[in-house]
Amino acid sequence: MEVCRLPPRLFPLTLREMNRAIHFFTLMLLVVSSLAARPYFNDKKAPDSLKDLEMIQEALQESLPRARAATVCLEVDEGSGTGVIISKEGLVLTAAHVIGGVGCDIVVLLEDGRELKGVSLGLNSETDAAMLQITDAGPFPYVEIDEEDSFRLGDWTFALGHSGGFDKSRGVNVRVGRVVRQADSTVQSDCLLIGGDSGGPLFDIEGKLIAIHSRVGNSREDSMHVPIREFQRGWAEMMRGDFIGEGGFASRPEPGTGFLGVRVGLGKDGELEVKEVFPESVAATSGIEPGATLLTMDGAKLPDEAIFLEALEKKGAGESVVLEWSYEDEIIKMKIKLGGRP
Amino acid sequence: MRAVAFFLAVFLLSPLAGNTLVSELRKNGKQVQAALSPVQASLQTSSAVFINNETRLSFLYGTVASDDGYLLTKASELDGIASFSVRVGEKKYREASIVATDEEWDLALVKIEASDLTPVIWGETSDLAHGTWVVSNGATERKYRRPRPGMISANKREILGGSPAMLGLGLKDTEAGVILTSVIEGSGAEKAELAEGDLILEVDGLVITKVEQLVNLIKERNADDSVSVEVKRGEDILVVEVTLTARYKLAGESKSRNFQMSGGGRQVSGRRDSFPMVIQHETALTRRTVGGPLLTFDGKCVGLNIAAVNRVEVFAIPVENLRELYLDLREQADED
Repeated sequence: MEVCRLPPRLFPLTLREMNRAIHFFTLMLLVVSSLAARPYFNDKKAPDSLKDLEMIQEALQESLPRARAATVCLEVDEGSGTGVIISKEGLVLTAAHVIGGVGCDIVVLLEDGRELKGVSLGLNSETDAAMLQITDAGPFPYVEIDEEDSFRLGDWTFALGHSGGFDKSRGVNVRVGRVVRQADSTVQSDCLLIGGDSGGPLFDIEGKLIAIHSRVGNSREDSMHVPIREFQRGWAEMMRGDFIGEGGFASRPEPGTGFLGVRVGLGKDGELEVKEVFPESVAATSGIEPGATLLTMDGAKLPDEAIFLEALEKKGAGESVVLEWSYEDEIIKMKIKLGGRP
Repeated sequence: MRAVAFFLAVFLLSPLAGNTLVSELRKNGKQVQAALSPVQASLQTSSAVFINNETRLSFLYGTVASDDGYLLTKASELDGIASFSVRVGEKKYREASIVATDEEWDLALVKIEASDLTPVIWGETSDLAHGTWVVSNGATERKYRRPRPGMISANKREILGGSPAMLGLGLKDTEAGVILTSVIEGSGAEKAELAEGDLILEVDGLVITKVEQLVNLIKERNADDSVSVEVKRGEDILVVEVTLTARYKLAGESKSRNFQMSGGGRQVSGRRDSFPMVIQHETALTRRTVGGPLLTFDGKCVGLNIAAVNRVEVFAIPVENLRELYLDLREQADED
C-alpha cells in the first residue's frame, strides 16, 4: 500500500498571490452558493420534459421531512388552522384570522399527534400575519425563513397544512405549485388550499419558508399567502404582542365588552366577595363559587368593587385576565378568557 | 360532535399590482401538459370516457383493464344513468353494460364490445413517497385525453365512514329496548312505514336489545338487500320488510364550509368515504373526472381515482387492491 505524502511545496504562492487566490476563491464560493440557491428549473419558463419535473420532485422530497415536522395544527376555541415552527424554542408563524386575538391559549399539535400548549403573540389585522409562542419546553423541529425575500415569480413551491383540521392517519397535506403573482403584501400561488390550511407554510422548493396561507380567490387555483417580508416589517411589535392595524382579519377587543359573569360586593371582613355567579358564564366554567374572595387581577390588588369594575371595564370580550381568588382555605390563580355580554 | 370551523378566508380577487405568471406556464397549464406527453400516450389508450346518452355529456372516466373490453370505474356514479356510451381513444362504443360491482370499494366492471384495446400496465406498488408526481386524465376532448399532474399528498390509509348500507333510522337505547327516534326521508324504513316511537324487537330473527347489535348486523349487509324487522307499536306487533339503502344516498349533503368551498355536490363525488384503503393525491379533479387510471411517469397504473373528496384531496384505490378486485369482478361476471 502506498503511503500518502505531503506535496513537496505546501505554500507555492507568495502572500500577495495567496490573498488574491483567497479573494477569488471566496468570490467563486459566493457565486456558486448563490447559483446553488436557485435550482435551474426555477429559471426556466416552464418544465419542458419529464426530467425537469422529476428534478422538481427530487428537490421537494428532500425538503419535505423537515418541513412536515415543523408544520403544526392549531386548535383555537371551536376552530382549526395551521402554523409553522421557525425556531427551536417554538416560535410559530401563522395567520391573524386563525389566532383571532392576542394572548389567547392555543393547542398546538405536531404531525404525530403530540399536543403542546401555546399562546398567541401579536398579529397584523391588515396583512393577516401573526405569531404564536409554544410555551412547553423545546427543542422543537423548525424551518428556516427566506430572510432575503429571494423568491421570484414562477418559482416552484409547496404548501403544507392540516386541511379540514387534524387527521392523524392522514397527516399533513402536501400541495405543489408555482408563484403566479407578486404584490406588495401578498404572494399568490397555484397550490390548492382549503379551510384548515390557513396559517400554514408555503415553502420554496428547498424548504425555506416564503409565506403563510391566508385566503383563496374564486378559482380553485388562486391561493393567497402573506410573504415573510410582511412579517419582518412588524416583527418586533408582533413579538411583544401588539395588535397591529384596523383590518378585517381580526377584530380588536372593544373595551367594556368583556364579561366575567359575577356580581360582587363587600364581604363581612371588608373583602371583595363574589355574591353571585351567573350560570354558563366564564366565571362559572372557571369554577368561581359564590362566597369566593377576589384577590388580584393581572397582578393588581382588588380592594373594592369600584377598582375591580374599573379594571374590568378596560377589557374586551375575548381578552384574557389572570384572576386570583380564595375559596375555603384555597388560593386559586387562573387565566380566564372573558366572554361577551349575554 | 363538536362543530368546528376550519379557517380560510375567501376573498374576491382584488387585482394585484405586480407581475403575473400567464396561465399556460402554471402547474395545470399547457406547457406542463406538453412536458407530460410521454404519460399522455398511456392515458390516450387506457383512460375511457363515459358519456350519458341522454345529455351527450361525459360524466365519468374509466380504466381499461383488458384488451377484450373490460373497464373499471366508479360504480355509484353510474346509478341513475339510463344509458351510456364509452369512448376509448378516438372510438366510441355504444354497447356498454355493467357486468359486476363491488359495493365496499364502489367499483364497477363495465363491458364494451371491443377486441383491440390497450389495457393499463399495472405498477408494482402504490407505496409512493409524499411528493411523487402522478398523472390523471384531467379533461377530455373528442379525440384527445388531457393529462393533469398532481403529487401524492398524504399517508396511505383506510377511510372510515359508516356501513355502506343503511336502514334509514335514528335509534336510541332505552330501558325498554331500542326505540326509533327518526326515520330518514327516502329510506327503505320510510317506505316500510316504520315510525318514530316504534320499539324494535327482532331483525332477521335476531332479538335486538342494543343499538350496537343492530348496527353490527347491518354492517354485514349490502344496499338493496332486505331485512325483516319486527317492531312493537303501542300494543301492536308489526313485521315489515325493509330494503337497505346505500348510505351515500341518504347521508344528506354536508353543508360544511369546506364542502361549499369545494364547489359542493357538483364538484365532489357523492360517495367519498368508507374505503378499505386509499392513496391520496392533490390533482385538481372533480366528480366527473374520477374513475380513470392514476399513472406514474413511466406510464404505469398505480391506482384508480375513486373519489374527488374536496378541492385539495383525491382518493385512489391502490393498484394492489385494484388488481385483486378486477379478478374478483371478472369471476363474479363469469358466474352470472
